[in-house]
Amino acid sequence: MSIISAKMLTKVYAGKIRAVDNLDLEIEAGQIFGFLGPNGAGKTTTLRMLATLLPIESGEATVAGIDVRRQPAKVRQHVGYVGQLGGADSLATGREDLILQGRLYGMNTFEVKKRTEELIDVLDLREFANRKGSTYSGGQRRRLEVALGIMHRPEVLFLDEPTTGLDPQNRANLWVQIRKLRDIGTTIFLTTHYLEEADALSDSLAIMDHGKIVAQGTSRELKQQIAGDSVLFSFKNDGEIIEKAIRIFKQQPYVREATIEGEQVRLYVKDGAVALPELLRLLDKENIAVKTMALSEPTLDDVFLRKTGRSLRDTGPNGKGNGESR
Amino acid sequence: MKPLRDTVLLFKREFIHSLRNPTWLVVGLMTPLLYLALYTPLLQKLAGGPGFPTTHVLNVFLPGMIGYMAFMNGVSEGYPTLFNLKDGQIERFRVTPANRVALLISPILADVAWMFVFIVILIAVAVPFGFNANIPGLLVTLILLGLLVMVTGAFSVAIALINKEISSFAAIVNGISLPVLLLSGVLLPLSMAPSWMRVVAHFNPLYYVVEANRLLAAGDIWNSTVGLAFLVTVGLAVGTFWWATRVFRKAVA
Repeated sequence: MSIISAKMLTKVYAGKIRAVDNLDLEIEAGQIFGFLGPNGAGKTTTLRMLATLLPIESGEATVAGIDVRRQPAKVRQHVGYVGQLGGADSLATGREDLILQGRLYGMNTFEVKKRTEELIDVLDLREFANRKGSTYSGGQRRRLEVALGIMHRPEVLFLDEPTTGLDPQNRANLWVQIRKLRDIGTTIFLTTHYLEEADALSDSLAIMDHGKIVAQGTSRELKQQIAGDSVLFSFKNDGEIIEKAIRIFKQQPYVREATIEGEQVRLYVKDGAVALPELLRLLDKENIAVKTMALSEPTLDDVFLRKTGRSLRDTGPNGKGNGESR
Repeated sequence: MKPLRDTVLLFKREFIHSLRNPTWLVVGLMTPLLYLALYTPLLQKLAGGPGFPTTHVLNVFLPGMIGYMAFMNGVSEGYPTLFNLKDGQIERFRVTPANRVALLISPILADVAWMFVFIVILIAVAVPFGFNANIPGLLVTLILLGLLVMVTGAFSVAIALINKEISSFAAIVNGISLPVLLLSGVLLPLSMAPSWMRVVAHFNPLYYVVEANRLLAAGDIWNSTVGLAFLVTVGLAVGTFWWATRVFRKAVA
């Protein structure tokens, strides 16, 4: 049985913006489920509805077998949540904050103390557990927040953009912790706009855009849909040359797709190693001078591109900013 | 049981937070002390005149002043709410099974507790200067002011949750506070005011509290004005809490 299930989940803001649009979702227990998409795709809204933070107005959802709409209070006992904002207390020490969290979940004093020490070890907080939250670095704070989220040993942990703002080392560190949690049986539902994160961390994933899921499966399955490699060309003279090149490319039987991306041309070919020399020969014959070319195996970005016609890397808050994730 | 337990847990946390933020404590105490030191001397010549029937001006001024403190204490409650909204704490607690009313009421109760501490200090300072402290009356005053903080606190938190931005929150709260304070007689009794002002003041809940405070300071506990002040404040407390709880449940951080 799925641990998270949603049917026709919809959220409309201001009467017209369909932030989440008839979403269906089935997530098996015990895995890391990645929710990938550009900012504003509706990932956070979906997660907030499942985590009981936003009322479900249309559609249905169950988490750990409990109806989120009818029994949000009961769902809260079974889920942990770490939001983008975090929620660690700046004025309390990490240890105090953990103890309070446990007490709010109804644990007794003895249980709370034991669990707090356990989490301090698991998330490597000992060094700063007795310091006030305001003194923590970004990575330390995030680790405390994850600890707060799993205090009550939830079956499902929601993580909203958990590694945003962390440096590469802290990000890698957090990935290790997240995998550890999965290995002890926690189902992790995480949103991210980092391709690399979704690719490396998720056991299965869904790609979301404009409130809809555009692709779903394991990373490998999704990339196989692309079936082939991607080749990116740029030419010494653009403009008409691009049009001409596209015409030539499209005539080749092994070219499955050829599209213009800015000043460049992207091709999907069956086998890049065979196609590339052939393509170069053709271009040479037509006197089209190549400036750069790149051959790559398909990535999740290619999947996104295929499904939406846009690159994930162009949809971020600062365009190129997301490129770092590759 | 659970609502009570959660309230105690969260109350402790809030109360200790204030200790860790000594600037807040010092400023909170300095304001009324400064009024006492630098404003009451201006009133000395009014003693025995209109509005100041008693022997010492402090007996009229201090009860008003503590009404002002309570009002401002509660009204400022929205600022920490806004900070906790921004750093994700409100969201974090809303995902836990913590009781919703406990989440809302605990910081306000901590504020009430701190206000009691301030008022006791203020009175201790004022007694050597001639303030005539009537203990039973003051105890009833504390209860009334506690209720007042609940009203203004819940109101302020709700406004903060609706507006989410500090600038619009501050504008609304300041815009409402000033006329309410001026029309309540906190600084000077409204018995000195022209009749139209006194008529308008009757629509101001704080006016009843301040009037009751002055009677209570004189030990006049069983006065009907005191009863009316309790009636108005309790009614408002129920109303604002009902509203604020609704806002809190819906609040999208």
